[in-house]
Amino acid sequence: MRKAFDTLGHYLDVTGQEIKMAFMTMIEYPSNIAGWFISNPLQFIMGFAIIKFVVESFGEINGWNYGQLAFLYGLSVISHALSMIFFVQGWFMGWYVIEGDFDRYLTRPLGVMYQFFFTNINIFGLTDLVPGIMVFIYGCMKSGIQVSVMFVFQVIIMLIGATLIRGGIYILLGSTSFHTRSAVDFGQYTQEIMDKTTMYPLSMYPESLQFILTYLIPIGWVSYYPVSSLLGIENGLSGGMTTALITLAVGLLLMCLAGAYFRSGLKKYESAGN
Amino acid sequence: MKKYLYILKTQIIKSMTYEFNVYGNIIMQTIIMITSAYFWRALYTGRSVVDGVDVGSMQTYIIISSALSVLLITNVERRIGSSVEKGSVATDMMKPISLFGMFLAEDIGNIIALIFQNMIPILIIGTLMIKPPLMADVRDLPLFIISVIESFLINWLIAALFGMMAFTAINNNALIQVKKHLIRLLSGSIIPIWFFPDSISGVLTALPFVYIYQLPLSIYIGRGERADILMQMGIQFIWLIVLSALFFFAESRITRKVMVQGG
Repeated sequence: MRKAFDTLGHYLDVTGQEIKMAFMTMIEYPSNIAGWFISNPLQFIMGFAIIKFVVESFGEINGWNYGQLAFLYGLSVISHALSMIFFVQGWFMGWYVIEGDFDRYLTRPLGVMYQFFFTNINIFGLTDLVPGIMVFIYGCMKSGIQVSVMFVFQVIIMLIGATLIRGGIYILLGSTSFHTRSAVDFGQYTQEIMDKTTMYPLSMYPESLQFILTYLIPIGWVSYYPVSSLLGIENGLSGGMTTALITLAVGLLLMCLAGAYFRSGLKKYESAGN
Repeated sequence: MKKYLYILKTQIIKSMTYEFNVYGNIIMQTIIMITSAYFWRALYTGRSVVDGVDVGSMQTYIIISSALSVLLITNVERRIGSSVEKGSVATDMMKPISLFGMFLAEDIGNIIALIFQNMIPILIIGTLMIKPPLMADVRDLPLFIISVIESFLINWLIAALFGMMAFTAINNNALIQVKKHLIRLLSGSIIPIWFFPDSISGVLTALPFVYIYQLPLSIYIGRGERADILMQMGIQFIWLIVLSALFFFAESRITRKVMVQGG
């Protein structure tokens, strides 16, 4: 028991140092900071504006009005930002595999998965978080949400679940590189797919696609089901804590699967010399 | 010229090394294309024509946009970025060929490989799973081809210009992202700008981005009068000249600025 606590303490210690170093690398190139501060908010402000234009041209989308869509978009962007901070490395796993960069992690006395995600913790993800929170607050006001302790609690649990789902998907896709030994730019593609499926209500798609996105690739739980439960939109889900807990459970399950797949892939990993 | 053809050929062979990339790209692009098609079908439920376009044309738009995106993949900005960051730009410049000529040859080689690996499969899958993306008026085909060539060049020049910022900023990763989002959202590749309010789409038609995706696609689905299309192609051509001028000006400036560790 004591040993477990020591290990945990050690990991927390290292994490603190990693975050400090991430900040240092961040300020290495000043123009880069400026670039991130422009590019990420720009992306979400424009994305948000586009939803408004779509609503203006087409009216309500499948019964969802602009305020509800803003709420959905905000929650989706927040979980996107959180997944960017912790799990963005999953997007680049292929390049690490084909360039043999996992060697460095294998030789160190810490978990490979931990090192892979935390040595490269992406502080710039915070530039995604701010526009996300702004849109979310706007959406809350527009759709007349009464903020209570319960509501905040639910949102936090849902966000943890949603972030784990996104992270799990990135890791699952990235780990395919261990087996295929090639690098596909999954980042660009997943983002595009996620944009269409988490920022608009899932109910607008045909039943077959909804089924896939609920049970096989649980993207629906990233934002659509949590938001419909919070806003009380009828789709057979009970309100209250249940949906939040299901979201969390789906996230944890997917993360475990992703972790197992990562481990099995790592066994196949080889580089020059072994 | 022969030197560049060799680079082009080498790049085609390089692109064929990683077999799984081909399947991975096709699968992901198919998912995106089909989701987009369903997205527009859902938006159009209960409406036949919105802003002069019906749902069938919109689906053609999506398929051709996916296919066109293959032609608009550039690597020049990343190549400049990494060669400046690592300092290999100095040795690159010593080679007996033009630096940007080499990058252009590499990009074209890559695209030629992708046309077979990616574009043709996407067109076939789109035809089978969504609808055959037929051109509205085949007589516009020459106009379409000309505008696609110009849009390729405009896209490449914008990428090269953003890439050149690496010479002053040293690290241009974030700038590449800015460029990516500008093109993704303002060029009509995902949502055509005719759905935007008039004031905003008015501003956007003055910028070069809509001439990358939306103009060739509008010609393809036959949206707009011929006179209007010809006027837009005029603006596209003006942008091509402006960007080329900017490019050659910047190219002559930056070669003097090369900074390498130790020199």
